[in-house]
Amino acid sequence: MVPVQWYLLLAAGIFCIGLFGVLTRNDALYFLMSVELMMNAANINFVAFAWYYSNLTGQVFALFVIALAAAEVAIGIGIILVMYRNFGDIDVTVPTEMRW
Amino acid sequence: MVDAFAYVPAVVLLPFFSFLVALGAGKYLPKGGAFGGIAATAGSFLLSIWIATAVAGGRAYDETLYTWAAGDQFELTFGALIDPLSALMLVIVTLVALLVHVFSLGYMNDEGETGLPRYYAGLGLFTASMLGFVVADNLLMAFMFFELVGLCSYLLIGFHFREPGPPSAAKKAFLVTRFGDYFFLVGVVAVFATFGTAAFAGEGSFPALAEAALAGSGDVWTPGGLGVETWFTVVGLLVLGGVVGKSAQFPLHTWLPDAMEGPTPVSALIHAATMVAAGVYLVARMYGFYALTPTTLAVIAFVGGFTALFAATMGVVKDELKQVLAYSTISQYGYMMLALGAGGYVAAVFHLTTHAFFKALLFLGAGSVIIAMHHNEDMWDMGGLRSKMPVTYYTFLAGSLALAGIFPFAGFWSKDEILYEALVHGLNEPLLLGGYVMGLLAVPVTAFYTFRMVFLTFHGEPRSATARDPEPVRWNVKGPLTVLGSLAVVTGFINMVPVQKVLGLEGIDYLHRWLDNEWGGIEGLSSHHYADIGPYSSGYIAGGEVPTVLVGAAVSLGLALAGLGLAWRLYNVASPTEHTAKLGGIKDVLYNNYYLDELQVWIAYRTEDIAGGSDTFDQGIIDGVVNGVSSVSLAGGSRVRRIQTGLVTQYATMLTLGLIALLVVLGLNGGWFL
Repeated sequence: MVPVQWYLLLAAGIFCIGLFGVLTRNDALYFLMSVELMMNAANINFVAFAWYYSNLTGQVFALFVIALAAAEVAIGIGIILVMYRNFGDIDVTVPTEMRW
Repeated sequence: MVDAFAYVPAVVLLPFFSFLVALGAGKYLPKGGAFGGIAATAGSFLLSIWIATAVAGGRAYDETLYTWAAGDQFELTFGALIDPLSALMLVIVTLVALLVHVFSLGYMNDEGETGLPRYYAGLGLFTASMLGFVVADNLLMAFMFFELVGLCSYLLIGFHFREPGPPSAAKKAFLVTRFGDYFFLVGVVAVFATFGTAAFAGEGSFPALAEAALAGSGDVWTPGGLGVETWFTVVGLLVLGGVVGKSAQFPLHTWLPDAMEGPTPVSALIHAATMVAAGVYLVARMYGFYALTPTTLAVIAFVGGFTALFAATMGVVKDELKQVLAYSTISQYGYMMLALGAGGYVAAVFHLTTHAFFKALLFLGAGSVIIAMHHNEDMWDMGGLRSKMPVTYYTFLAGSLALAGIFPFAGFWSKDEILYEALVHGLNEPLLLGGYVMGLLAVPVTAFYTFRMVFLTFHGEPRSATARDPEPVRWNVKGPLTVLGSLAVVTGFINMVPVQKVLGLEGIDYLHRWLDNEWGGIEGLSSHHYADIGPYSSGYIAGGEVPTVLVGAAVSLGLALAGLGLAWRLYNVASPTEHTAKLGGIKDVLYNNYYLDELQVWIAYRTEDIAGGSDTFDQGIIDGVVNGVSSVSLAGGSRVRRIQTGLVTQYATMLTLGLIALLVVLGLNGGWFL
């Protein structure tokens, strides 16, 4: 039996990788993938706790998050397409119109 | 039987409706809304007479009509108080207002004035405010209508606002009376703080409470453990501030001569029945309070006597018809104050009544002369108008005889009673005796300037082209003059106290009996009661009451005739000349009103430093704080918004840093790291 802490450590590690990607990369596609990683870290937590407490709610939640992630990708890809059309680039540091 | 007292609010509201009608629809009405005003004041007049007959039928009325604010300690209300005094005053005010409205047809409409709806709206509101003041059953309501009266006088004095003089005179009237009203307002607050009520009449009214407190029973608040009587004196003097301002007593009389810039009918209304009468009426209304404080009474008497003499001397040298009348008004109200201060409550109300009629008469007569003279008011351009306008002449003469106090015209009886009261009560009181002497000295001066005015205006040879061929006046001028002229002759007969005392007749002092609740009235508001609580005892000269009456009347009549005779000698000639030059330097002093205007301006300029200091405080500290707060927010905002870079990675960084900071704070608080 693997203790639940290891799952949590794994999830924290994956989350930090995703966070690192969001903070350091400029490419919008990398952004999308990093966000996906962070979300799956959360999913691991849900499932781990569901197993630990023998409660199915966490697993149901994980299913919801997967569905949400799919929707998010659809919208994210749409945003990236529009960005490419308007700026000729998918570098997130290029569009800075929405500032002071 | 319909109750007359149910229509008390209507007396006030009718002129108010005429104000609304003239204001809203005056443009579309014939004569600029004049008929609405005439109908309203006539209605009020009839209702007032009905109310007065109800009072004569032995009844009185004291009701709270509307409570507009109620607290734990006291309530603020509107109410109506009808007793013999207010019923009499209602009749006077509505009658004079009615006649002034009719006269305005001749003075304003026939003369082709513009802005008539504004004029009639002002008259309506003026009348309504004064009537509201008269029926007021508590001091706060009285104060509110007192202020409205002041506002209306401002609007009407400044009626010809396109000329330079009237707006400035209106401002002066407003500011000077406001200065007095400021003390009045403090007095009202003091009355509320002391007694918890400001009602004039009844068991729980403030004069009754004050009486109980002085008798040692009852509990009233005084600031800082001050003695009850001292504090009542202070409160009385504070309220007196408003009276001095409105009734144009020294030293706040300076607005009144300037107020002559207003249309003449307005002057008649201000001087006879409304604004100026309000001050004296207020003292009479709360006489139950004033009678308790001898110091206040002495101050009232002395100020009144001084004003009577002081204003009379200034009237002697004036060249303009209305200016002479203005100073006579100040002087006559001085007499009323003297009477009130001397414990002559009835005498003051009597003089208020007779003066209302003869002064309205004189002003309307002056208005008639001014119409005839094409709005030239200089008496040196008149002369010889007697044969050309007989109605005006004879009514004006009746008014002048009344003003000068010549037997048997109205003014003689009332002035004689005032001087008599001041004498018999003053024999033991030096201040009062001083007031009496000044009042007596003013008698020949009054007679002199009055008949100087009459002779210069109506006698002798015409001294200008307009005086040779004056413009005729119509019925709407002559009608009011005739009514008031008759009243100026006969009003004195309502109160022939000297005749009663000398001949031993009983019961012909109708006004005394009227104000003594002999027919009806409210307990505690009678001349009898005021005499009981008043501080004065009577003393007589020449051994007894009857000789005192005779000597007093003979002296004042003799002095009046002497003044009249001097005016006759100097001015009743074919072409009179100015004799004022013989006065030398005094003439300039009198002509410039003792330089009091200059003094007041000088005082006003001395306060410049205080005003400048408060301005600096206001601009620097108060506004500085407000402006400081806004500029700090502005500057802070313009710095903080720099973090909105538009770079999404930086937003993410900040989110993360914020989360970490939050975790660290929560962790430290929760003790995770220890």
